[in-house]
Amino acid sequence: MFDSSILLSLVGLPLLGIVLLLFIPDTKADLQKTVGLSTSLLTFLLSLTLWLKFDMSTPKYQFVEKFFSVPYSNMHIYLGVDGISLFFTLLTTFLIPICLLASWDSIKIYIREYSIAFLFLEAVLICVFTVLDVLFFYIFFEAVLIPMFLIIGIWGSRERKIRAAYQFFVYTLVGSVLMLLAIMYIYYYTGTTDVQVLQTVSFDFNTQIILFLAFFASLAVKIPMVPAHIWLPEAHSEAPTAGSVILAGVLLKMGGYGFLRFSIPMFPDASIYFTPFVYTLSVIAVIYTSLTTLRQVDMKRIIAYSSVAHMGFVTIGLFTLNIQGIEGSMLLMLSHGIVSSALFLCVGVIYDRHKTRIIKYYSGLAVKMPMFATVFLFFILANMGFPGTSSFVSEFLVLVGAIKSNVFVTALATTGVIWGAGYSIWLYNRVAFGNIRISHISAFHDMDRREFMVFLPCILLVFLMGLYPEIFLNVMHVSITHLVEQVQ
Amino acid sequence: MDFSVFFDNDFKAVMPELYLFTAILILLSYGVVYSTSKAFNYPMIQLNIGWLSALTLTMTLFLLISNPLSTASVFNNLLIIDPFSNFIKILIVISSIVCIFMSMSYLEYKKVNSFEYFILLLLAVLGMICLVSSNDLLSIYMSIELMSLSFYILAAYKRNSEFSGEAGLKYFILGAFSSGLLLFGISMIYGFTGLTNFEELAKLLTGINGMSDSLTYNGILVGILFVTVSLLFKVAAAPFHMWSPDVYEGAPTPVTAFFSIVPKMAVFALMIRLFYSTFFDFIGFWQPIFLYSGVLSMVIGSIGALYQKKIKRLMAYSGIANVGYMLAGLASGTIESIDGLLLYLLIYVVMTTGFFSFVLGTQSTKDSKLNMHVSDLVNLGKVNPILAFSITLILFSMVGLPPLAGFFGKFYLFLAVIQSELYAVAIIGVLSSVIAAFYYIRIIKIMFFGTSNVYTTYKAMDKLNTLVLSSSLFFLIFLFAYPHPFLLCIHKISLGLCL
Repeated sequence: MFDSSILLSLVGLPLLGIVLLLFIPDTKADLQKTVGLSTSLLTFLLSLTLWLKFDMSTPKYQFVEKFFSVPYSNMHIYLGVDGISLFFTLLTTFLIPICLLASWDSIKIYIREYSIAFLFLEAVLICVFTVLDVLFFYIFFEAVLIPMFLIIGIWGSRERKIRAAYQFFVYTLVGSVLMLLAIMYIYYYTGTTDVQVLQTVSFDFNTQIILFLAFFASLAVKIPMVPAHIWLPEAHSEAPTAGSVILAGVLLKMGGYGFLRFSIPMFPDASIYFTPFVYTLSVIAVIYTSLTTLRQVDMKRIIAYSSVAHMGFVTIGLFTLNIQGIEGSMLLMLSHGIVSSALFLCVGVIYDRHKTRIIKYYSGLAVKMPMFATVFLFFILANMGFPGTSSFVSEFLVLVGAIKSNVFVTALATTGVIWGAGYSIWLYNRVAFGNIRISHISAFHDMDRREFMVFLPCILLVFLMGLYPEIFLNVMHVSITHLVEQVQ
Repeated sequence: MDFSVFFDNDFKAVMPELYLFTAILILLSYGVVYSTSKAFNYPMIQLNIGWLSALTLTMTLFLLISNPLSTASVFNNLLIIDPFSNFIKILIVISSIVCIFMSMSYLEYKKVNSFEYFILLLLAVLGMICLVSSNDLLSIYMSIELMSLSFYILAAYKRNSEFSGEAGLKYFILGAFSSGLLLFGISMIYGFTGLTNFEELAKLLTGINGMSDSLTYNGILVGILFVTVSLLFKVAAAPFHMWSPDVYEGAPTPVTAFFSIVPKMAVFALMIRLFYSTFFDFIGFWQPIFLYSGVLSMVIGSIGALYQKKIKRLMAYSGIANVGYMLAGLASGTIESIDGLLLYLLIYVVMTTGFFSFVLGTQSTKDSKLNMHVSDLVNLGKVNPILAFSITLILFSMVGLPPLAGFFGKFYLFLAVIQSELYAVAIIGVLSSVIAAFYYIRIIKIMFFGTSNVYTTYKAMDKLNTLVLSSSLFFLIFLFAYPHPFLLCIHKISLGLCL
């Protein structure tokens, strides 16, 4: 009985929090923040029960329950998770409280609306990752735009934020309307949009090619792959810290999730056909964006470009179409979700104090802010894939998978690790070491307790994933094996 | 001889129309006598008449809902009453009541002191509900003329504005021209077949494709072409859209709201009836016309709206683009396309109503002006966040973002287009809706992220407009949660029309 209502309560809890928030007067800003945070923490705790009760011996969807049905259209919408979507759901519920806590002091206007936007985003994201229907995946995928557009536009930092919000909106919309057409075609062709049914349908080759391209247009913008990545650095650098966190942490993963859930199992022939194409784009992404990263002056843009590079790894892993590669890229998505979020939070810490993200104003922070420098160093190392951290395991798995399928691509992609080390260490060098530039920045104080509590769970998780990845891999193993078998 | 026997049920069936007509005459004489009476010191009764006309329409609505005859063809097949026409009539009457509500505050503070405004509006409604149940080419023409003549006067209603006069004149000249085309088309069809009744025409034209090189066939084609062009003109579809931005801009704002909300329903209902039953055998002929016109409207509407500075012109172009989508749906020629078209009409009407109630309801405290330019909305998000957020939701719905209602309208419409395998149209359609997203988002941008230091404060919206805005917003947000009654109703109606 309890099992069957976890997912609905997961969606319902944030919505309940929104309703509660609506009744708190504006004068009680602290109470608003507390309600927002505690709702999201409760949601996180509830989502952990999914993991505890998860049966890892079957690739079937679990905790399946009916959402609602649309008359006259053979649409019955179910929610459910399997080994693939479980971790994306957990990642969402994990990051939302962190976002709310991280922006505790830095958000000064529309505090209630801020919490509402994040809780709404959480509910929609949980729906994105758990709904077992292509059409409703699209609906929630697009619904994410509304809160995110407002988060960037209202609470963003500079004048350029408007341009960034615009770009974010339009890029995503252009890609995804093509996906909508493809979904309509699928519905017309098969008479259903249910994922479980669709995975038993086989389209003929030419149809697969066209449908794959339509899905690709949307997912590649979201993930993002190289020619369509322009919106990402803009959106990241203009969003508030928590906005960047949720953008890098979860929103990019919607693309990867879409490939895993829809493109690869539904269009297996086309996936194999387009593998060289995806490899090419990914390798370009890894090398080109890593080099671009070296020339950036804004810290958030550096992390944004490094996200694009990491996502290049993810797409290589996904399209190796073997177990190691896909598991590696799943793990990389999770690890990147935590590491890059934490890096954005680090930038947020110094931005809150000094209101600039331009590197040249910073130097020698290690002297005055030792705790910050330590945490920052830890995540910089995690970002470049240092052994013992989560990225190492996942990048290693991706490369193991890739070398089975294409040695040349693997060799090129491996250089990405070197580039990554280059820009990460160089960023850290410039910010943390050297002489303190009193002329620019004169007052310092290290991280306070709240900020430390934001970073602590991230640090623990990165270590956990780096040292004992089995607890994650075991859960997804059966589902991914099933997926690979479907393709072959 | 007892003539009452012949038309016994007929009068019952057209009771709503008869009631409305009588009530208009009574209201007119009441207004004329009372407002010119010296004994009462020439009272200003425009609001009084307004409430009375709302009451009249409400009574008409009740008569429509409780019509004892759900299906009938009356007066020698001149008019037809069926669930489809009833549904559209109910929509028309409800949205006209809403339009009356929205115009109240405008008339009050603009000091438009003549009550004929509402009489004309009611006459137009009468024309439209007759149009919806027309079953004969002649009754089409009569009702379209009743509707259009009222529209011409309404467009020119603001007598002290030269724009309004210009709008009325433009509308009249072009409208009269298109009515001429309609009449010419009708006479061609009549000349070649000797028939004007829809059902008889349908019987005659079934299987006519076998004789496609005969003179009769081609004559009827020319007739249909003229009728089609004239109807496309009435809904402002490209390339017959030129009048609409000027008329929308020049006409008084409540009239603009009325133009963009109500007549489209009536004319599209007529088109569905005409082309899905009577002229269905000519689908190979009219489908391309609607497709080209639809695609052209989408593109022209979306691109034309991009740099409009005035809200009303922007809404005119957005209306053209929306007509384009509806035409694409109409061209598909399946039951699903009627479903999609009706749902889209319904949702489009609600969105437009919500938007116009905002435009009509907010006046700045400084000079009591309405927001005429898009740039007037600057900083609305800071001055009046809840109002701005409501408008944002309406605009997002117009963009077609799920889970708002606008998405479902577009979804069902394009689904029908894809089911008819018109893929190119579907692709152009969704891409032009992305272009359309630019200008809707521009409004949101100006409201929330404007950089100007001008802070306009607004008077509190009047109660009626608030009511309209909030209820349309409620519909747009929560249709997602429970669309069943609407889908069910619309599906049954379109099945009933086609089977």
